[in-house]
Amino acid sequence: MLDAQVNGMPNTSRGGPLQGVRVLELTKVWAGPYAGKLLAFLGAEVIKVESNSNLDEMRAYGGVDINHAPYFLSINSEILSVQINMKTAEGLQLFRDMVAKSDIVINNIRPGAMERSGLGYEQLREIKRDIIAVSIKMFGNDGPLGHQTGYAPCFAALGGLNSLAGYEGGPPLGVNHRYGDSTVGAQAAYAAIVALMHRQRTGEGQFVDVSAVEGMSSMVGDSLFEQGLTGKSAVPDGNAHADMAPHGCYPCRDGTWLSIAVASDPEWHALCEGLDRADLAKDSRFMTRAQRYEHRSGLDEQLSELTKEQDVDALANHLRALGVAAFKSQSSVNLIGDQYLWGRDFFRFVSDNKEGARPILGAPWRMSKASASISRGAPDLGEHNAYVYREILGLSDEKLQELIGNRIVD
Amino acid sequence: MTALRGFRVVEIAEGVAGEYCGKLLADFGAELIKVERPGTGSPTRSMAPIVGSDAGPENSGLFAYLNTNKKSVVLDLASKAGLDTLHKLIATADVVIDDHDEDWLKNVGLTPAQAEHDHPSVIFCSITPFGHGAPAAWRNAKSINVFNASGWGYHSPTAADPSKPPLKGAGRFMADYEGAIDAALCIVSSLYWRTHSNQGQFVDISQMEVLVSRADCVVGRMITGEAEANDLRTAYDMGGPHGFFRCADGFVYLMVTNRKHWLGLCKLMGNPEWSKSFDENWLEFGATLEKVVEFRKHFAAWLLAAKKDEVSETAQRLDVPLVPVNNATDVQRSPQFVFREYFQRVTHPVLGEALYPTVPYKMSATPVKITSPAPLLGAHTATILDNRQAVGGAKAHA
Repeated sequence: MLDAQVNGMPNTSRGGPLQGVRVLELTKVWAGPYAGKLLAFLGAEVIKVESNSNLDEMRAYGGVDINHAPYFLSINSEILSVQINMKTAEGLQLFRDMVAKSDIVINNIRPGAMERSGLGYEQLREIKRDIIAVSIKMFGNDGPLGHQTGYAPCFAALGGLNSLAGYEGGPPLGVNHRYGDSTVGAQAAYAAIVALMHRQRTGEGQFVDVSAVEGMSSMVGDSLFEQGLTGKSAVPDGNAHADMAPHGCYPCRDGTWLSIAVASDPEWHALCEGLDRADLAKDSRFMTRAQRYEHRSGLDEQLSELTKEQDVDALANHLRALGVAAFKSQSSVNLIGDQYLWGRDFFRFVSDNKEGARPILGAPWRMSKASASISRGAPDLGEHNAYVYREILGLSDEKLQELIGNRIVD
Repeated sequence: MTALRGFRVVEIAEGVAGEYCGKLLADFGAELIKVERPGTGSPTRSMAPIVGSDAGPENSGLFAYLNTNKKSVVLDLASKAGLDTLHKLIATADVVIDDHDEDWLKNVGLTPAQAEHDHPSVIFCSITPFGHGAPAAWRNAKSINVFNASGWGYHSPTAADPSKPPLKGAGRFMADYEGAIDAALCIVSSLYWRTHSNQGQFVDISQMEVLVSRADCVVGRMITGEAEANDLRTAYDMGGPHGFFRCADGFVYLMVTNRKHWLGLCKLMGNPEWSKSFDENWLEFGATLEKVVEFRKHFAAWLLAAKKDEVSETAQRLDVPLVPVNNATDVQRSPQFVFREYFQRVTHPVLGEALYPTVPYKMSATPVKITSPAPLLGAHTATILDNRQAVGGAKAHA
């Protein structure tokens, strides 16, 4: 009775744990679309509602062809696209008709915009009693600062995350400013599926109100907790780690960097041996983990002297063979040539309407039984109009043509 | 009822990644049974911050944070009896979470093949730095290593000074937390699938791949050649006058991208003379390095007298995305965090009362609540293992 499949199966069977689940998206830019991507990669049928008059900005970034914009193509594999002009009464009604046939509705549009269109949670619930409505906003759906808006680095600043990243004694510098949207999208996807599980067991839908700012706070939850517990101020701490020393990135030849993390005395001795400085292990400043942590600044300087003329890949291999956790800090060019990622099919190809095939970043999980196929690239605007209007909503071809003619489907 | 009540999760993980994943499930009422080694318990019980002079297993703030709503069972997995009990316990479970390496799983008889054979209806999730099949020498990678292997370290901070080292991210555990989110998502998706397939499965999470995925619209344009991949520390950066600015009582962060933002900013600053040399559309069409530098110089000077919360609120009313850079104290006091009840006061029997961060999603039907502090080591060994109803009893049925 509660099975998503009563809504009608999608026209292609991709498998995956969420096969048969239908998700409707009013999402833009990155956080919302990323949530949709994860659900699609798990097998859900994810339908993005768009229109020429209200495009996802990602279709405009980095190009003039809205069907071939690199940003959009990079996030929207296995997403279906349907056009609706939501500024018309008839368009809004079509959207409501789609809600009635969906399990989850996700939006990350401006605070208040859903409610103004008559699509707040209570109204969605009137359309479909057990709908799961997911709202992703910078600071949550309401509250004293709920009206504030911003981009990912703003979430990270407000959430307390960016004030922790920087060099010791210096100002906050933050994690790279691309960080944030996708993490929040993943958190929203998790909450959405928890809600789906609850509906499966009880028949009850619900409203999931995601705060991107709190999403960032949760990524440093232990630090926020620690300050409250101990009174020790959480400030930029470079690469310091209270339980590991050395713990940091050390320069190698040609501007490269090697990350090294030493968790125990035997690992420390192995590192000294690997750097041909067994004597360092006997240095009275560096005997125990606590001493190494206390003298980390001098320790890092000394290690940097030993690494800076070395080849990063050779040194990484050499240290790892001795049991030391040592990995190159990969640049973008290292990353796209990473043979391990290509070998695991993490980098993989999907169809592309223009060029035939496009490499994308696939799913970061492997499932032994219920894997969803990931083969279709991002959709052209309205690529799935016929499927949605005719097969899901049951409209005739004539009606669809009329909607196109009236620019309701636009 | 809470969303996952009735599901039994056995957490054999002993690291931050697995424990955070377990926490995400326990938040929603799953019965979370943490299996711990005798004596010291989970290694996270020995991790900072250690509070108080007694460095026993109950003094770690980290453990207290990661293990709310869980039960602790002590089992010696080095003994045959302990292993037998573990397998009996798993036979009563719906989910098993692990974050050890593949050899460890082999030693306890839970390779993917063994797990599926012996426990066909259980969802197993293994979270490791690089996923199963990685070279043995890679398996002891820590969060900082994975963060750097993934590209995020090299490109942090934004506008990185190439003479300074890449950063580990914020806090100590970004690779662990990120991996845990996707793990929890896969677990609950698998539980959903099990309601109609009646099958368990093995889920293999690569923390490295989770982190690389988080940059999909950056790296995804590089593997196609649409954006240049190179060795620059700034390869992930967006152009424009984004960034941190010092003000009277701390820092603010500004990110502006369009005409509306610019007009709002001008109004915020009282339309100073210098702003007239900027075209209204400069953020979209004329954000040259020279212009950006000039803007930053003037804006930074203007901001020095401003208070971060006040100027941010005024800017927001003018549609300018300017926000305060909050520290931990600011976050706890923020009226929005208070309104959403993000922090919950919890009393731990040894560490006392403290504010615990909860979750970034408010759920109307199944709100998250911390109902018990992190368990004392072995607090539930007797009730879970000696109670026949608990081991060998009925499983949750969806």
